[in-house]
Amino acid sequence: MKPENKKRLMIFIWSLVGVGVVAGLYLYAGKEPFIRTTLSGLTLGSLFFMVAAGLTLIFGLMDVLNFAHGAMFMLGAYMGWQLYTNPTFIFGMLPALLAFSTGIMMTSVIKPYLIRWEISSKWQNFLPKAAYFLALVIGVVAFWGFDILQLANTAMVAATTTTAGNPLAEISAQEPFVQFWYRPLLLLLSGLLVAFASSKPGVKTEFAPLDEMKSKLVLPIVLFGLTILSIIIRESAPVAILLMNGNWRFVISIIVAIAFGFLFGAIVEITLIRPLYVRSFFIVLMTLGLSFVIQELVQLLWDPLAYQMVRPPLFAQPGKAANLMEWLRNGSSTIDVFGVTFPTYRLFVILLGVVMFVFITLLMTKTRLGMIIRAGVQDPQMVEALGINVKRVFTFVFALGVAMAALGGIGAGPFLPIQPAMGEQYQMQGFITVVIGGMGSYVGAFVGAFLLGMGRAFGDYFALKLSLSPAIAEASTVIIMIIVLLIRPQGIFGKKE
Amino acid sequence: MSDHNQNDDILIIDNIHTFIGQFHILEGVSVRVPRGSITVLLGRNGAGKTTTLKSVLGLTPPREGKVIFDGMEIQGKRAFNVANLGIGYVPEHRAIFRALSVMENLKLAERQKGDFNRNADFIFHLFPDLKRLYKLPGNHLSGGQQQMLAVARALVPDNKLLLIDEPSEGLAPILIQQMMDAIRELSQKTTILLVEQNFIMASQLAKRYTIIDDGQSVHDGLMQDLVNDQDLIHQYLGASIKTRKELEKNHETRK
Repeated sequence: MKPENKKRLMIFIWSLVGVGVVAGLYLYAGKEPFIRTTLSGLTLGSLFFMVAAGLTLIFGLMDVLNFAHGAMFMLGAYMGWQLYTNPTFIFGMLPALLAFSTGIMMTSVIKPYLIRWEISSKWQNFLPKAAYFLALVIGVVAFWGFDILQLANTAMVAATTTTAGNPLAEISAQEPFVQFWYRPLLLLLSGLLVAFASSKPGVKTEFAPLDEMKSKLVLPIVLFGLTILSIIIRESAPVAILLMNGNWRFVISIIVAIAFGFLFGAIVEITLIRPLYVRSFFIVLMTLGLSFVIQELVQLLWDPLAYQMVRPPLFAQPGKAANLMEWLRNGSSTIDVFGVTFPTYRLFVILLGVVMFVFITLLMTKTRLGMIIRAGVQDPQMVEALGINVKRVFTFVFALGVAMAALGGIGAGPFLPIQPAMGEQYQMQGFITVVIGGMGSYVGAFVGAFLLGMGRAFGDYFALKLSLSPAIAEASTVIIMIIVLLIRPQGIFGKKE
Repeated sequence: MSDHNQNDDILIIDNIHTFIGQFHILEGVSVRVPRGSITVLLGRNGAGKTTTLKSVLGLTPPREGKVIFDGMEIQGKRAFNVANLGIGYVPEHRAIFRALSVMENLKLAERQKGDFNRNADFIFHLFPDLKRLYKLPGNHLSGGQQQMLAVARALVPDNKLLLIDEPSEGLAPILIQQMMDAIRELSQKTTILLVEQNFIMASQLAKRYTIIDDGQSVHDGLMQDLVNDQDLIHQYLGASIKTRKELEKNHETRK
């Protein structure tokens, strides 16, 4: 038999099996439980996908297993939640962050001049080290006496529900300007020093043309403008955001979580992962360690408590909407889906997962960047030989993966308890999803995630119905993994090695 | 080496030493590539020819020595910077991107928007087959088609120098002929540094040669001198390779 026909036959058989299983479940469970269980399975699957998508992209291109992905998922939830309930923290940190990145972005401007500087090799060695050290010292001085706990502290207030009517109840005060003014300034200086060191003054083999200086100046100038702006609005903006319509506030917190994840991912890749590509085993240890560090820092800032994020008004009004239009008009908390009452926010989570899948598909198939990623999965050296800066692509993909995890985090925020360990379970599920779907395949991650979600949901259903142990739901994940790996060791959409 | 002016050389490799891991692969390779012609690197398997090409590009950066391209020292620069100076690379084993279609493989090689549209006519004139296969994914191509795509990919941007590694490897004789014609036509537009095991092909294409043996460049000169130098060929390239004279003699005796 021809391999193509064989493949078609296999697909046909498996879709028959799939349809049979679904029909069997439908007939066994009856209409209403079936739909309810399916919907909650889709919700879980959507969350799994948001974690697994980043993992599989990162693993596919760079062979990096990111064990800090769950921690980054959790960070996304915390950042989004902070913007939603207490934006002071984010707006208090923003000027320092922007000032620092302004300094670093000056690299491309000063580098062409610095590498043409005639200095002896002794100075070439010494200057970057001295600059890094000085940058560190200045950074420490800048944050000396900085009461970050005061800025972040929402613990006691957030736990109560009596403040629900007053959006300003949980806001903490911005620090006074006298204590604040020198910090962005020092961090700008520190960033400039890092830029000086990383552009390797005097090193002849570095490469940076002197042309197009004007276009290189655009980014630092824009960032500098944003720094000034963020200093000006740092006290008024949190109040303004809190008085805003809750739905828009939620949109902003999603954007903040994505932006934070992207930035954080980029920084982690450049500073921690890039030096370790040659020793890939160390990356596993490093990311594992990083996840502990992140969790402990979050515990330090927000205490080891579980917070409940208030749902945005669109999902919060009591009552049941009969259809989509009625939900959008009234903002009901539940909706009628084929006779089943289902929380509207969970529908939103499913939508978020699907939107993300469409976004990744478009990115991978329609854009030049997607072409570069697909080519880089096979042979990064050859991509580099075509004249493409593969290191930068690596950074971008890592940052994108972390941004997707952060989006998953804030997406889960309103219906999961927000706590330091909230990402762990999803990271494990994410890894299993990646294995089931085939390492590096985003379509596989999508299918695998929904398979696992369904397994979970129906496991719960059967446990309840047949009075089995609820552990059957947890076990379903592993059972599915074993079945898939026995039949297709490379994963559903994986390629044979 | 003094028979031509230095400024005529587009690429000068000056005594480079390259390590892969802890292995000292190149122990002093010097090659000159004059502008506007084909230069070939000859040598046995594992002599370091491929590593020489990779050292030029910076994929395996040389630890010592100089690489001068178009009057500019490029050793130690990152590979994408080197490539962007105008060096195209056709790797051995036809490393085309299997997950990408033919069109995407070609578009990926663009350094500026519109590179491909500008040179598409020339590429399809050299390799008419590719036009027919335009939308197929790379893993559906035959070996010869993949090799053509690998060469075509290096032609998308306007390169000043092409590094071509074993273009005839594993090809059917009729395809070798087609590839040779294509490379000959290319050499009128650009300079080529070729690595080739097929001595007949190399001897017909190249103007100059450099022999690399055990990580060192041991001999160079004009190809027309080499084809008649039986001793040199036997010493460095193996006894199985026949000079043109021997081939002709065999041909006559068989008659």
